[in-house]
Amino acid sequence: MKQLEPVVHIIDDDQSFRTAVGRLLWASGFRVALYESGDQFLAHFPDCEHGCVLLDLGLPGLSGLELQDRLAEKAPLLPIVFLTGQGDIRASVRAMKAGAEDFLEKPAPREALLEAVERALHRCETQCREQDRIHGLRARLANLTPRELDVFGLIVRGKLNKQIAYALGTSERTVKAHRHNVMEKLGARSLAETVSIAERLGLVDATADPLRR
Amino acid sequence: MRTRLLDATKGRIDLFSEFLDLSRFPESEHVGRMSGYLSAKYADRRPDVVIALGEESARFISANRKNLADGARIIVAGFSRSTAEEMGLPSDVVGAFSEFHIVKTAEMARGLQPAARHLFIIGGSSEFDRSWLATARADLAAFSRDYETTYLEDLTIDEFTRRAAEFPSDSIVLALTIFKDRDGRNFVPREAVKQISETANAPIYGPYLTYIDYGVVGGSVVTFESLGKTVADLALDAIAGKPVSSRESPQTYVADARQLQRWGLSQKNLPPGAIQTFKEPTFWEQYWLATVTALAVITAQGTVIFGLLVERRRRRAAETESRHRLLEVVHLNQSATAGALSASIAHELNQPLGAIRSNAEAAAVILQSERPDLKLIEQILVDIQDDDQRAHDVISRMRGLLKKRGEIDWQEFDLNDVTTSAIRILHGEAARRGVVVSSNHAPRELPVRADKVHVQQVILNLATNAMDAMVDVVTAERRLMLETTLTRESKVELSISDTGSGIPDEQLASVFEPFYTTKPAGTGLGLSIARAIVETYGGKIWAANRPEGGAVFRIVLPLARSG
Repeated sequence: MKQLEPVVHIIDDDQSFRTAVGRLLWASGFRVALYESGDQFLAHFPDCEHGCVLLDLGLPGLSGLELQDRLAEKAPLLPIVFLTGQGDIRASVRAMKAGAEDFLEKPAPREALLEAVERALHRCETQCREQDRIHGLRARLANLTPRELDVFGLIVRGKLNKQIAYALGTSERTVKAHRHNVMEKLGARSLAETVSIAERLGLVDATADPLRR
Repeated sequence: MRTRLLDATKGRIDLFSEFLDLSRFPESEHVGRMSGYLSAKYADRRPDVVIALGEESARFISANRKNLADGARIIVAGFSRSTAEEMGLPSDVVGAFSEFHIVKTAEMARGLQPAARHLFIIGGSSEFDRSWLATARADLAAFSRDYETTYLEDLTIDEFTRRAAEFPSDSIVLALTIFKDRDGRNFVPREAVKQISETANAPIYGPYLTYIDYGVVGGSVVTFESLGKTVADLALDAIAGKPVSSRESPQTYVADARQLQRWGLSQKNLPPGAIQTFKEPTFWEQYWLATVTALAVITAQGTVIFGLLVERRRRRAAETESRHRLLEVVHLNQSATAGALSASIAHELNQPLGAIRSNAEAAAVILQSERPDLKLIEQILVDIQDDDQRAHDVISRMRGLLKKRGEIDWQEFDLNDVTTSAIRILHGEAARRGVVVSSNHAPRELPVRADKVHVQQVILNLATNAMDAMVDVVTAERRLMLETTLTRESKVELSISDTGSGIPDEQLASVFEPFYTTKPAGTGLGLSIARAIVETYGGKIWAANRPEGGAVFRIVLPLARSG
């Protein structure tokens, strides 16, 4: 039996179908929640719960693809496994491009369904962990003074202390002190680690040269 | 005869009649002209059967059958078997022969006038008249022995009338035919008989029905109905391809009640089974007004009716073929619809199949656990049965949609039911396209007589068109509405409206034309097929724009039964 934390959200307008899939996943040890429409899901789903979505592509009302767009804003970390009765290639490609975890054709055999769900949940878990780390890093980033932030931006672009001092109109020694503070506040033990943190936080923009600001 | 033929074939024959007037125009030029004229007239409509009434026409058609009616069955009527033998008609010609038994007429006269002492027999001067006189002389040889017998022949019409005025009152007068008098004047015999009877001092009898109401007391005659029925029966047998042989039209005694009264004759002395005409003047006068023209045409010797049972086979074959074409086209249309709906139908099938599979797998997993929840297993099995039924329903609807027809399957059904089943078929497709379908049914049953599958196809065509018309409309505004009503004219109406962009006014009339389409992938046949179907069942279809936007298509079909 699996850990009962993540929830598989099953969204299908066909009551009989979602009940059956729900039963199968429940019997296989997952927590499940059933919804008959995308709107009902959006109204009920808990914000920060781990899990995945099993979504019927051809939903009436809010369609599967529309719900995917909405979830990309509301819950970007929730992986979506599409279930479809019709092999609509265009819709499948669109769904995969928009980040769908998987695409299953109805009726999906148990192994395929469980495999897709497990993979989705695993992805959710890693993404959430990553997300947590990023949240931590952001908190640390917030501790930097504006000057330290400037120095940080230049370090991760491979600028030497001398260049930084020149760019900021200060002494090399001052830059060294800032640099030490930045790495300590971010918890980085090497330059490489500092760069990696900057990248995860989306601070490295290869096209921009901060020296020309 | 006409009535009988049309009744028996349910109107599936074309009847043509031609009056040749050969008796009064026996010249060969006229005959030649007639032949040429008829040959040209019926060049494209060669008859299956020709009915020739009267001797001349029988001779005419026998002589000209190659030009006029090659391969047609020829039926002759209106004269006797012996006349036919004399004419030497081709062996395959059959006849409905009228035997003019002058003796029977004479005996009817004797019954009415037991005290009569004199017998007069009147006949004209034409060839026919003379041969008739000769026949009568032979037939009456025995009968005339009891009377003082005079044959009035070779007289002018004036001489006839003068002599008639001098008949002793205890005379029996038998009128044969007068087509010509001694001076060569032509007559319709009954007119001559009428003139004579006006001055006659004794009752006149004649063996022709047409003489009734022209001053004769009556006689043993072949009635119009009897002759017509005999001829028509022969014709019907001939059309049906049964072997036919000549037969005799049954005879009837007919007496004119007014003439009986005029001469003080007792109706008790009429032979059994005799029919009295003009006994109830209003009824009979009506009757005669309606039929006298036909009667004259039938028995006057120069008259011909060409009953041309033309092209019957060809027309029926053409009708059958066009109906088969329609059925073929409708079936292609059904297949196309099924193709267009295949995605949503696959979806509809996959839902129950997917549910069945997941339920079965769930049950398998549950049963492996230590203490399986049997209540849940039970519920799962019930659900599996329900889903199986659901899949079955989808398939049988599909089968109904694809049902091929060899013939129209006429049945009476409620238009509301067919509308509902069409909506069920479309439901998946509509959901897929984000179209909301609503329907508003008449509160009562709307019985229609047609082929259910065809009417359903019309609804599917109109509804898929309507959905196609809404692709550019925002999803929330895509609405398809079906409504059935009973109109004030007691017809059944179905309207299908959409919220699309409507139809340009100038194209409203042409949308039903074949190959009219606005869709890149459309065949332009859906609406024309819909119209063909609706018209087959006596209905109408038209298109309009709704004031609030969108198009509406209306179908009107006749109500199958009133009430």
